[in-house]
Amino acid sequence: MKSLLAALALTTALTIPGIAMARPVTLTTTLNNYGGDGAYLALYVTDPSGAYAGSLWMAGGKSKYYEHLTDWYRATGGDPAQINGITGASVGAGRTLEITLDLADALFDAGYTLHVDAAVEDMRDSPNEVAVPLTSEGADNPVSGRRYVASFGYSM
Amino acid sequence: MKRTLTLLVASTALTAAIGLPAWGAMRAMTDGITGPISATADAEREAVPLMFVSDDNDDDDDREYRRTFFFGGDDDDEEDDEDDCDDDDCGNSARNPAPAGTVSPPQNGLFGSGTPPKVQVN
Repeated sequence: MKSLLAALALTTALTIPGIAMARPVTLTTTLNNYGGDGAYLALYVTDPSGAYAGSLWMAGGKSKYYEHLTDWYRATGGDPAQINGITGASVGAGRTLEITLDLADALFDAGYTLHVDAAVEDMRDSPNEVAVPLTSEGADNPVSGRRYVASFGYSM
Repeated sequence: MKRTLTLLVASTALTAAIGLPAWGAMRAMTDGITGPISATADAEREAVPLMFVSDDNDDDDDREYRRTFFFGGDDDDEEDDEDDCDDDDCGNSARNPAPAGTVSPPQNGLFGSGTPPKVQVN
């Protein structure tokens, strides 16, 4: 009985920090009615020094078009391994993409910035379409993009 | 003891006498079936040379100039880009990333766990 209790206490102690160190975050991206085909979007994070930290989402599944997401491509070389398991379809004009991810707490209020690169067929590429610092205060405060993104926001 | 030995030798000889011709016949039959097929495949392999499919390189100059997105003339809808296979990277799908839900998110330190993302497009 004692050993069972000890084992339970140990597993709980190991599990709880894992749960507490991450939180579900919803990223909402609404596109303008720019009058073109579906947009490719790369959502990624840079660290306090501005270096690429990792990708959060890729909208658009064909790697041959990733070079048009210029900043993301420069940082990753277009490596598909960066976005395995976090890739979905491109997003049509006027549509809203809503992604819920389990993100590490360490990303918030620590100088990290979330970027969105965008590209649309036969239209201009738009690197760094959105750049927002990941902070607790920044949650639920949508911002506008430069060309294709009408609004981008995150909520926790 | 002698009798047992004799019986064993006799049964072995009988098995060899019946079995060897049958085994030989089966081998000949198998060769007769696969031989022409493999010969045809070999001939086709030699007759059709490997070719590289176009990779839209004719657009490169325009890309550099206008920084715009070119799909090489195909008019596919990007929202169903996992389904169609009418353009030039169909044989190249191994280089495309794994879609969400098929594998865990990358271990890049940004994700708290291997929980797959939830996605919705409205």
